[in-house]
Amino acid sequence: MIKSFFKNKAAIISAAIIVIITLMAVFAPLISPYEPDRQDLLLRLKPPGSEHLLGSDELGRDVFTRLLYGSRVSLLIAVIPTALAVIFGMIMGILSAYYGKAADLIIMWFADVTLAFPGMLLAMAIMYTFGGSFLSVLLSIIIMEWGSIARIVRSVTLSIIEQEYIEAARTIGVKKIVIVIKHIIPNLLPTLIVLFTLNVPSSILSESALSFLGIGIQPPNVSLGLMVNQSRALLFQMPWLALAPSIMIMILVLSFNYLGDALRDILDPKTKY
Amino acid sequence: MKAFKKVFISIMLVSALLSSAACGGAKDSGQKDAPSADTKSESTEAAAPESSESSAEGSADGKNESSAGDGAINIAVSSDIVTMDVHKTSNDYIVPMNVFDTLFEVVLNSDGSTSIEKSLVEDYSVSDDGLVYSITLKDGIVFSDGTPLSSEDVKFTFERMLTLPDSEQTDYGASIQGAKELMDGSAKELSGIKVEDDTHLTITLSEPFSGFLAQLATPSTIILSKSLVTEAGDDFGILPEKTIGSGPYIVSSWERGSGLTLEYNPLYWGPEPSVKKVNIKVMDASSMDMAFQKGDLDILDCQRIDSALVESTYKTKYADSIVSVNRLGINYLILNEKVEPFSDPKVRKAVQMAIDRQAILDSIYNGDGKLEDGIYPSGCLYYSDANQGWLKYDPEASKALLSEAGYADGFDFEISLDSGSDDSVKNVIQIIAQNLKDVGINAEIKSYDHASWLEARNSGDMPSFMAAWTLDYNDPDNVIYTFFGSKDNTVIRSNNYSDEATIKRVAAARGIVDPKEREAEYAALEKKLVQEDAVWVPMFSLKHLYVKGDRVESFVPHWAGWSDIYFKGVTLK
Amino acid sequence: MSAFIRRCVGVLLVLLGVMLLIFIVLRIIPGNPAAVLLSEHANKETIERLTASMNLDKALPEQFLLYLSGALRGDLGQSYYLKRPVLDLVLEAFPFTVKLTIFSAAFAWIFGIAVGVISAVYQNRLPDYLFRGISLLGVSVPVFMVALFLQYLFYFKFSLLPLLYDGSAVSMILPAIALGWNSAGSVARLTRSSLIEQNNELYLDTAKAKGLTAKAALLKHGLKNAMLPVITMLALQLSSMLSGAVITESVFGIAGIGKLALSAVETRDMPLLQGTVLFSAFIISLGNIISDLINTCIDPRLRV
Repeated sequence: MIKSFFKNKAAIISAAIIVIITLMAVFAPLISPYEPDRQDLLLRLKPPGSEHLLGSDELGRDVFTRLLYGSRVSLLIAVIPTALAVIFGMIMGILSAYYGKAADLIIMWFADVTLAFPGMLLAMAIMYTFGGSFLSVLLSIIIMEWGSIARIVRSVTLSIIEQEYIEAARTIGVKKIVIVIKHIIPNLLPTLIVLFTLNVPSSILSESALSFLGIGIQPPNVSLGLMVNQSRALLFQMPWLALAPSIMIMILVLSFNYLGDALRDILDPKTKY
Repeated sequence: MKAFKKVFISIMLVSALLSSAACGGAKDSGQKDAPSADTKSESTEAAAPESSESSAEGSADGKNESSAGDGAINIAVSSDIVTMDVHKTSNDYIVPMNVFDTLFEVVLNSDGSTSIEKSLVEDYSVSDDGLVYSITLKDGIVFSDGTPLSSEDVKFTFERMLTLPDSEQTDYGASIQGAKELMDGSAKELSGIKVEDDTHLTITLSEPFSGFLAQLATPSTIILSKSLVTEAGDDFGILPEKTIGSGPYIVSSWERGSGLTLEYNPLYWGPEPSVKKVNIKVMDASSMDMAFQKGDLDILDCQRIDSALVESTYKTKYADSIVSVNRLGINYLILNEKVEPFSDPKVRKAVQMAIDRQAILDSIYNGDGKLEDGIYPSGCLYYSDANQGWLKYDPEASKALLSEAGYADGFDFEISLDSGSDDSVKNVIQIIAQNLKDVGINAEIKSYDHASWLEARNSGDMPSFMAAWTLDYNDPDNVIYTFFGSKDNTVIRSNNYSDEATIKRVAAARGIVDPKEREAEYAALEKKLVQEDAVWVPMFSLKHLYVKGDRVESFVPHWAGWSDIYFKGVTLK
Repeated sequence: MSAFIRRCVGVLLVLLGVMLLIFIVLRIIPGNPAAVLLSEHANKETIERLTASMNLDKALPEQFLLYLSGALRGDLGQSYYLKRPVLDLVLEAFPFTVKLTIFSAAFAWIFGIAVGVISAVYQNRLPDYLFRGISLLGVSVPVFMVALFLQYLFYFKFSLLPLLYDGSAVSMILPAIALGWNSAGSVARLTRSSLIEQNNELYLDTAKAKGLTAKAALLKHGLKNAMLPVITMLALQLSSMLSGAVITESVFGIAGIGKLALSAVETRDMPLLQGTVLFSAFIISLGNIISDLINTCIDPRLRV
């Protein structure tokens, strides 16, 4: 399995890009000589050059530094809620598939309810209630994503428990919880990893869309979407301001999509989602 | 897997194609010092395909069809109006200003000063005690459907303003005698307005109020038709055909969310305006910028686009077409006395000195404004030069004052930001936070959506915020009373100014009839409030810039804050 | 038929859940949503009147029942800010969103399928790499970037199309491309992969043996079969299109549902937000039922 991963160059390059960007975001303070919110009003709106690699913004802050810190927030906001959504979706999917008709009906009903909303509009309702902040963006991404994850986990779990050895384990009286932990979850893992990787890019796009509309992350915090929002008026005059974060969003989304596709082909070739 | 590499390369190719288009644009405008010949060639180049295009497309874009001869202009606003009924809004004045008339109007003189002139009024006199205004209306004025305008309509307008359940304009009738009784339901009529005949009436105030004439010249006090408004009911202000005024224009259509169209009212009593039709479109900032440069907009309000764009593009390419007016408004930073440590005037003074206002004005607003050290902005009646020039940026003195007050290590506080405010305001607040950090004060910026922000401010608990107050009418009372005229006002504005004697003086100053005496009192109050008590950090007043397109000969922007324009004042080439 | 009825009951239950969820989300923080309307001059009576009109002074369960019964009668409440019935506003905005969605779906399908087919036909040759690049860009570029670039290129640079939506069909082209761009990417990818899968199937070899060229065989027989999974995507994309409509409508000035919802958030207009979200969830549920029906018609195996 690992061998076939290394044969797939697309997956390797994507994974490498993700790792590099993540490292740069994590070690941003070491990489950049500037602080993300240090202003220099005399050096405003400078084009890319030797002093400011990607130029400076309206308050004379270094765009490259802000790009790193913005990626940090955007990655966090993509990875954390996606992971939480995968875990929650997994629990719900297993419960639904393995713990009886009533649980199944209620959980799938609830999943259908959240899936009936256009994600963006539900997220806007959450922004209305909790205001534009890291936590509310996080919450809305979890709510947007868990439903479809739970549905997939449910169907995969159903096919797992049909297998003979689980049937056998059940007949010799092994407890349900033990079967879940020992047999079901390990078998689900490939699916979960693929689901996670494929959901990260949509989380990145959701965050950037909310921030672009001005209802997501708020200044003085920084995220990739917010950077685009704040510089969109200058897109054609001072393109480095908006293009840098936009291209960063594209690279991240592309890499995760590619990695997810490759992982699916390797880990889970039969399923399609 | 070579495939991946090739796909990757093709992606890069496509994105390079896309971004090269953007960079091309950047180069054009990036050359700030380029001679105008360069930009001209670019504009003719752009104009040529456009004209051929518009004939090819026909109905594709109505804006392109309007030629200079038909008197139509295109204007952009950043959000749609909510209602055309002025009593139900305190924001949307574009229809009230152009479709209705006021009793008086403010005229901007060529030297920049303003004066109040008669509009619907033919003649008037004020009694010696400043209480009774006897007014004669012009004869023969009709609403655009032919209904005559009479004294009854004036009375109806003020009664409706005061009694409408969700009226936003009650302030404008509150000084008239009997307003209180009418509002609390103990009276059925407004006793202060007496109708003598169709064109004669008297308005009696409950106490002298020298700002009253100015109030009668604002869009808030446009005169509505009693019969038409009553008949329209809830449709007034919502349906164009039911929103009928006596002004130079009629509303010919309103498409919610996208804009509205005004057309010349042939029954208008005044001189026929040069502009016969106005297409008002809702656009965001980047659309406005593109549309104006393409010639699809005739007047661009620079306040609605990014100030860096104004500096880089409009002040160079369109330098000769910029029209500016000093906006009668003041930007200020409030420090709430109820929130520690702002109860200590020394701390407030330290903050006053810690903010580099000139740097903010220069970097965020391209220097288009003037520092203000008081309460009334320059251009305001009784503006006092003596109260200016005392406040200097001095971080060292600020630090010294802080340690004197016992805050040598600084302190933490919150600046509340309305997330709906424009990018300039967000940037200014971030600079302020940086300035304060330099003297050791840690200001945390917290965002609220507009409504929550307003609620927090109105509750009197907002620790600190920056905003601008633009005068509704040119009188110092309009600023000072709003912020410091009563206990309630100090709460609503979250300053919680505690000196009750001064608050009483502010209220009493409204009633001073002698102009000299009034001027002296307002100057003294300004000095006491800002210099001694440091009730706020005065920031600056700003110029309001517009760019006019090729077809516009001239227009005079309104001095007041309403970003909307009196279209009758626009002349076309 | 009974399966269909069961499905409808399911959808009704989901709609009930949708109402409950949005009701809870908008009220989970205690406080009076009407109170935030205190604008510069509004008075106490106004707030009391609005509070009563939204039944906000009642207990939560009672509020929900009142809201539910109102919704069944077509009464979604009164917008705080625009001061008009929410249903009227939503119904006024809806045709714009429908138009936008239809145009962009059409673009996504025509463009997506064409790109997918070309990619499959020229598998692993230059056109394939180029078009795969485009479709990957399709799924990875944020909607707002596409929208801004389209405006710049087609309006500002080349004066080909109007900047904003002005009611004409021509002015719908840019918004439709912007919104359809992402879907076009997924349609292209799906078309390509299912066509290639078909290509490997045996019966195409038979067709080839019958004398058809490889390309003709693929197009003639493969395409028809490859379309099934692509059609199934339609319902799924309705939801993402309604999400994307928020941005597209706000950039191109289209007075549709998305723009209405955004303005409701910005002005803290709780009844309006509740109404728009509910309405769009209703539309999606309706879309699900319809796509079920279509699938059952196309593929008889699904009739259980």
